Amino acid sequence: MLLSIENLCVKYGNIQPLHGITFHVNEGEIVTLIGANGAGKTTILYSIARLPPPEAPRVISGDIVFQGQSILQTTPSDVVKNLHLALSPEGRRIFGNLTVWENLKLATYARAKEADLGKEYDYVFTLFPRLKERRNQRSESLSGGEQQMLAVGRALMTGCKTLLLDEPSMGLAPVLKYELFRKLKQLNEEGMTILLVEQNANLALHLAHRGYVLDTGTIVAAGTSAELLGNPEVKKAYLGG
Amino acid sequence: MENLVQNIINALQWGSFYALIALGYTLVYGVLTLINFAHGDVFMVGAYIAFFSATFLLTTLGLPGWIALALCIPVTMILTAMVGVTLERIAYRPLRNKGAHRLYVVITALMCGLILEHANLAIFGASRKAFPQLIAEHVYTIGGVTFTNLKIAVIATAFLAFLFLHWMVTRTRVGMAMRAISYDKFAVPLLGIPLDRIIVVTFILGSGFAGLAGLLFAMSYPVLEPYMGALIGWKAFIAAVVGGIGDIRGAFLGGFLLGAVEIMVVAFFPSTFRDLIAFTVLLLILTWKPTGLFGIAKTTKI
Ligand SMILES: Nc1ncnc2c1ncn2[C@@H]1O[C@H](COP(=O)(O)OP(=O)(O)OP(=O)(O)O)[C@@H](O)[C@H]1O
Ligand SMILES: [Mg+2]
Repeated sequence: MLLSIENLCVKYGNIQPLHGITFHVNEGEIVTLIGANGAGKTTILYSIARLPPPEAPRVISGDIVFQGQSILQTTPSDVVKNLHLALSPEGRRIFGNLTVWENLKLATYARAKEADLGKEYDYVFTLFPRLKERRNQRSESLSGGEQQMLAVGRALMTGCKTLLLDEPSMGLAPVLKYELFRKLKQLNEEGMTILLVEQNANLALHLAHRGYVLDTGTIVAAGTSAELLGNPEVKKAYLGG
Repeated sequence: MENLVQNIINALQWGSFYALIALGYTLVYGVLTLINFAHGDVFMVGAYIAFFSATFLLTTLGLPGWIALALCIPVTMILTAMVGVTLERIAYRPLRNKGAHRLYVVITALMCGLILEHANLAIFGASRKAFPQLIAEHVYTIGGVTFTNLKIAVIATAFLAFLFLHWMVTRTRVGMAMRAISYDKFAVPLLGIPLDRIIVVTFILGSGFAGLAGLLFAMSYPVLEPYMGALIGWKAFIAAVVGGIGDIRGAFLGGFLLGAVEIMVVAFFPSTFRDLIAFTVLLLILTWKPTGLFGIAKTTKI
């Protein structure tokens, strides 16, 4: 087990959005979390990334274990630097005042001592050729889809081995959505572990190996993608019949 | 003509102090959207640190003036930077971590400035301190225009400081991180960047250059008193705002603009008119362009 969330309860001030969440991700897997708006998906990813309050929640009980060690005391920058776990957050959160290339370069902050980062830029640019064309453009002037590619590319540039993605297909046209998902599959085949939060449950379950269904802060269903796709209740609530 | 050149040199020298101090205001504002009202007093502390280290190096150790100066520069910059970092650490960071409203942080900064002033008053008394002469001042006259080696050094230092900071902010990862924080602080740790470390670097840069300004100011106008940072600090802050606070080009230009206005006013009016006219001009500029000369209306800074 690479990542394991154990009976996690968190709070934003007095609001408790998660009520004892337990799930895990194995190395090399794609696992998806699906659930309606406000179910607590983003909250879970923020907790794993150890982001600080008030925008992210604080853990009140339970544990987050990565490679056998609790990471509750780890700082968010050390999560990236030492655990090689990166989050591409909901709403992209790219730095609009920096160019595409500066956004990518900034993501290598913790690896400045590594000599050959050229290969890494090339990798991201082959994955998303659009970014290469626009590398000297201020990133706030990118289209929504391009910004999403940058958000994923930026997470990759941290040198992560585990990738948390929060609604990466938000705002993408269907063609781009399929393209992005193909690229995620390719990344996974090359060894990346992925925890994917997605509104489009159908698409997510077709990509992922396993999934968990979240409802108002509780996990209500779990299983392989095939099981969840065949589960009548999941079908009814999240797959449009 | 000679008169004009003379006034330009004077304006550049006088503006250099504003520019050096304004750079610190603008860096901290750009990163934290905090108006660090203690910054003028950090400049004052810098001048005092320069005074004590210069006196120690010259009198106690009996070093030659130019060696004392060469040592005084890094010592003053490092110690003043430590003062700035200490303020960040004990006053601003706890508030930031508690998510305090910006108003409280600004008030805290004002209080920190007052504490520095009055601690100085309490410890060293109200009497003025005479700054020792580190290097002999040479006066040059070329075609009726006079300038000194010190004036040229002051101007050159301000330009070098600007070029260094500009390079830092545009080309290095730390500078990129500073700009990134000003855009979206929350997302910065997601790239493995320790937020607090970048903020500390910002305070080191701002306070270090305020210390350098303090040393140069004390060398140029060798009388020190605890309130010397107050007015010049306010003016440098205004210069930064007029230039477009958050943008280092703005701070630099704003500093020289204020210097130029003040010198020109004195050239044509009684010197008692100086601040009145200078502030009126700045007010008019702000009315015409409320975000400052380089300011962008959005949150994007530095
Ligand atoms: N900063 C915050 N302060 C207080 N409550 C919050 C905060 N962020 C989220 N919440 C609440 O926590 C609950 C879970 O929110 P979360 O963002 O995790 O949902 P989500 O599953 O990601 O939804 P969506 O699909 O809309 O992105 C919601 O009820 C939300 O109102
Ligand atoms: Mg969400």
